[in-house]
Amino acid sequence: MNNINDLKSLELTVGDVFSKNARLKARNVNVFYGNNKAIDNVTIDIGSKEVISFIGPSGCGKSTFLRCFNRMNDTIDSCVVQGEITIDDENIYDKKIDVVPLRARIGMVFQKPNPFPKSIYDNVAYGPRIHGLSENKEHLDVIVEESLKRAGLWQEVSDRLQSPGTGLSGGQQQRLCIARAIAVSPEVILMDEPCSALDPIATAKIEDLIHELGNDYSIVIVTHSMQQAARVSKRTAYFHLGKLIEVGKTKEIFTRPQHHQTEAYISGKIG
Amino acid sequence: MFNFYLLSSVLLISLIFFFLGNNRAKNLVKLNQKNLHSLTHYYGVYSLLVSLLPALGIFFIFTICDDLIFAELIKKYIPKEVVASKDYNFTIVLAQINNSVEGLIFGTPPKWVTNAAEIWISWIHKSQIITVIICISTALISGFLGYKKISGNFRSRNAVEKIVMSILAVSSVIAILTTIAIIFSVVFESIRFFALIPYDEFLFGTVWNPQFEGAERAGSGQEGLSQYGAIPLFAGTFLISIIALCVSVPVGLFSAIYLSEYATSKERVFFKPLLEILAGIPTVVYGFFAALTVAPFLRSSGSIFGLDVASESALAAGLVMGIMIIPFISSLSDDVINAVPQSLRDAGYGLGSTKNETVIKIVLPAALPGIVASIILAVSRAVGETMIVVMAAGLAANLTANPLEAVTTVTSQIVTILVGDQEFESAKTLSAFALALTLIVITLAMNFYALHVVKKYREQYE
Ligand SMILES: Nc1ncnc2c1ncn2[C@@H]1O[C@H](COP(=O)(O)OP(=O)(O)OP(=O)(O)O)[C@@H](O)[C@H]1O
Ligand SMILES: [Mg+2]
Repeated sequence: MNNINDLKSLELTVGDVFSKNARLKARNVNVFYGNNKAIDNVTIDIGSKEVISFIGPSGCGKSTFLRCFNRMNDTIDSCVVQGEITIDDENIYDKKIDVVPLRARIGMVFQKPNPFPKSIYDNVAYGPRIHGLSENKEHLDVIVEESLKRAGLWQEVSDRLQSPGTGLSGGQQQRLCIARAIAVSPEVILMDEPCSALDPIATAKIEDLIHELGNDYSIVIVTHSMQQAARVSKRTAYFHLGKLIEVGKTKEIFTRPQHHQTEAYISGKIG
Repeated sequence: MFNFYLLSSVLLISLIFFFLGNNRAKNLVKLNQKNLHSLTHYYGVYSLLVSLLPALGIFFIFTICDDLIFAELIKKYIPKEVVASKDYNFTIVLAQINNSVEGLIFGTPPKWVTNAAEIWISWIHKSQIITVIICISTALISGFLGYKKISGNFRSRNAVEKIVMSILAVSSVIAILTTIAIIFSVVFESIRFFALIPYDEFLFGTVWNPQFEGAERAGSGQEGLSQYGAIPLFAGTFLISIIALCVSVPVGLFSAIYLSEYATSKERVFFKPLLEILAGIPTVVYGFFAALTVAPFLRSSGSIFGLDVASESALAAGLVMGIMIIPFISSLSDDVINAVPQSLRDAGYGLGSTKNETVIKIVLPAALPGIVASIILAVSRAVGETMIVVMAAGLAANLTANPLEAVTTVTSQIVTILVGDQEFESAKTLSAFALALTLIVITLAMNFYALHVVKKYREQYE
């Protein structure tokens, strides 16, 4: 049964949607905003410790699909998700699943840096606190320091942990958001255009960071920059009008795209 | 009626100038075949404004000034012996004459009053004729001058722009001047009060017991002097305000949170206007609700528990005032909660917070300054509220913290002092102004502080 469905979507998607050590599996996912279909029958695997890029023209549904993985679409009233998405073979849309621990397992970094109007320390400590991850103050200090170090922000802020997170520069704020996300030790990190509000130097720092975090986490990154996709990810998925058109090794997608639409996008004919 | 006809004719004249100006501009276009600086209707509007505004200005100056001038001139017609008499008061004499002019005659006024009134009426007729002549001719002359000015390179659009700007500026200056005038009149009367009563007695005295000097002189059983210690009044005001806040802050804030965070858009569309209706109910209605429904209810339920609740109590007034203030807090807080960027909520949900955690730990702290500001505005509203307390809180200047007793507030004292017979020079009457001044200072300070907090809050995002 599953196989037949898989084959059906294979007809649509060019390239290998499956992955040997898949951590997240999406099967025949449809997403509707009211009557408007934003994602059409998408099937894809995301491997463990894999960095994968979602690319495609504006409005093609990249963000919508990304938000399916941590059920952020639940917060939009009109949004309905059909199909099956599993993490470690557990269906995240199962009625029995509680979204609170799920979202702790699947972290998210947003397009615009959105630190809380609290101190740097409290920003990072927020997640561990609400999930009760620390036994005491010392442990919490350790978690905060670790997370800031991994996000490459520790050196810049270690002497002003109590100053407000909103007072940092845009790039620092985004790294603070990454630190906040990894403080709850997620297994997967979803990033929706994390560098689109940043200058080239800050972008380069975040890209280095993604590269490094890819050793420990599965990372899905939505980006409009093909150079960025090429720099940070091994695998790339190309979306068009809600359909997953092509998936493959990043190098091959950019050098030898199989599908004519992918080629048109890569060569700048679809914007 | 006279004024109405005069104003309509001036308006008519300026309308005619509108069409004349418009046509002249159109003809200029036709004849010269070249473009004017501005669109043709700007020339019409220019002629209209130029003919209307000076005439209007003169009209208002005349109507305001003629009474003043007449009052000065009429002095000649008051007999010497009247002026020389002991209790001569020009204001009263003037009122007598004016009454006679309007045909309000009480008893038989002295002969000289009727004479003066006749003279006054003849002046009114003269001044009406003068006003008509001057206003109409001003409208015609200035309109004509404006009309003559119309030519190919006259920049009527810029001229209209300037005129409109000055009209707007004058309006705002009038608003500001009125406020300043009110404050000054209160300040001057207060200074007269503080000449009679030392300000430290007023500010720190704990007994409020004002009496007319006349009553004391007559020795009406009231011993000792009047006492003007305002503390019981301010204590009453704050007691009632605090009770009101105990009702309105939780209810208003929680309903704001419900409306902005939990309600579906349908519920929101339904409930929000419903809540705002509360703000539209006249306070006198709240007043009798407090006095006729809430107060008896409190009294009877108090007696069940063996409590003695006064029939006019701070509690009744405070509870009802709290209901009245709910919409101020809920709708302002709803606005500030909505102003918290969605991205912060997303960040919270993305980290796995529940809705409740997101609201308490993220949304409310971010909206806190705005919420505080809304509460401060509500307090200043409560402090200045009059009708409910007059009707439900009583008039006894008790210095008490017991909400079951009758208290009085600053505003209800001002009302009782100024309503009814009054001796204008007495300390009792003047004390109303001192109370008003103190109240103005307190509410202004609170409003300034609230604005300051809101401003700081706005800078936090973006
Ligand atoms: N909250 C929403 N309500 C209704 N429709 C939505 C909503 N969010 C997105 N859509 C629609 O879903 C489609 C996909 O949107 P989505 O935001 O996923 O695109 P995207 O690929 O992320 O685009 P971009 O690159 O511009 O961010 C669009 O047609 C959009 O109009
Ligand atoms: Mg997007």
